[in-house]
Amino acid sequence: MDTIVKENIDPKDLKSFEVLYIEQQRRGYVSEKTQFDYAWCLVRSRYISDMHKGIELLKDLLRSAKDDLSKRDYLYYIAIGFVRIKEYESALEYTEAIQKIEPENKQAKELQSYIKQKLKSDGLIGMAIVGGAALAVGGIIGATVAAMRKKKSNQ
Amino acid sequence: MSGGKVDIKVVLLGKAYAGKTSLVERYIHNRFLGETVPYQNTIGAAFGAKTVTVNNQNVVIGIWDTAGSERYEAMSRIYYRGAKAAIVCYDLTDKSSFDRARFWIGELQKYEQGCQIYLCGTKFDIIEDNPDLRTVSERDAHALALDVRGENYETSSKTGKDIDKIFTKIAVDYLASKTAHKNEVDADIVELRKHPKKHLCQGCS
Ligand SMILES: Nc1nc2c(ncn2[C@@H]2O[C@H](COP(=O)(O)OP(=O)(O)OP(=O)(O)O)[C@@H](O)[C@H]2O)c(=O)[nH]1
Ligand SMILES: [Mg+2]
Repeated sequence: MDTIVKENIDPKDLKSFEVLYIEQQRRGYVSEKTQFDYAWCLVRSRYISDMHKGIELLKDLLRSAKDDLSKRDYLYYIAIGFVRIKEYESALEYTEAIQKIEPENKQAKELQSYIKQKLKSDGLIGMAIVGGAALAVGGIIGATVAAMRKKKSNQ
Repeated sequence: MSGGKVDIKVVLLGKAYAGKTSLVERYIHNRFLGETVPYQNTIGAAFGAKTVTVNNQNVVIGIWDTAGSERYEAMSRIYYRGAKAAIVCYDLTDKSSFDRARFWIGELQKYEQGCQIYLCGTKFDIIEDNPDLRTVSERDAHALALDVRGENYETSSKTGKDIDKIFTKIAVDYLASKTAHKNEVDADIVELRKHPKKHLCQGCS
């Protein structure tokens, strides 16, 4: 799964699909296929801003998707996008949505357990950092964490 | 897109429903889910790896299982890039899948000359049960394989027939090509030692 999530697109490929997309946009009609090809390239780009843009284009396709199979595929690439920008909670929502369409989907299941693993290990790393730092500068860090928590709950 | 630490990148190409995912499932997990799980067409591409040992050497095979659906044609093109081997699958009971195999072989020949082609007719168990269901003759497949200096296999992911055979052959061919390449390089070095001046001056006149 790691391979599927981490692979990057060759910038030349991204560029060629971008050219097609922009050309169609200029003519006033972007086909579903062109948008999809461009979107999954963006999701696999090295740049976080591209990944966000890819997710937006896929969400747009999802809104107008006519059949469950297309929906399933868009949901999958949105999930991959969220994993790549490390928004694991959002990614999980999308793998769950795939399972509403295809409960036994193997790729969705694999991606889901990969995400859960990530959440677990990132959580542990986070705790280790806070824990270690707390030993060193106890009070200050404690206060910062409390402040951060407060900020988060306000959001 | 090579995928982790692998020695050989292998890509599976072929029409949707041809049996690519089942082939990988049989090879990597030695199982066939076709009787219990309904068909799921692959989303984009899936990746799996397995280590094989040939001539006491370990070779890690990285397998890209592409989606046959037309929607993913552009993506599949990206996945076959840099592949050392392609298993081009067709369904022995579906004539149109053989045309699609031709299409992919044409693509590989045009854009990926370094990729060795292994043609694979799937679902052999079905025609074994009922020979009338065969739509692609062994002869036609063999001819197509010969055209591209490849080989044709007839496999079944249900029974496991000849699945390991393909991958072992891929590993053997890979090691052989590596040795051949090494010998060429060695020969060049010997040449260089023999005629140091001649080689050193290449391009400086
Ligand atoms: N009897 C039999 N059925 C098979 C065999 N291989 C695959 N099938 C069935 O054929 C159908 C398609 O198989 P898949 O492996 O999903 O096909 P695919 O080529 O991966 O399809 P895409 O992902 O859409 O490109 C499934 O229902 C499998 O169970 C086989 O060797 N024998
Ligand atoms: Mg498949």
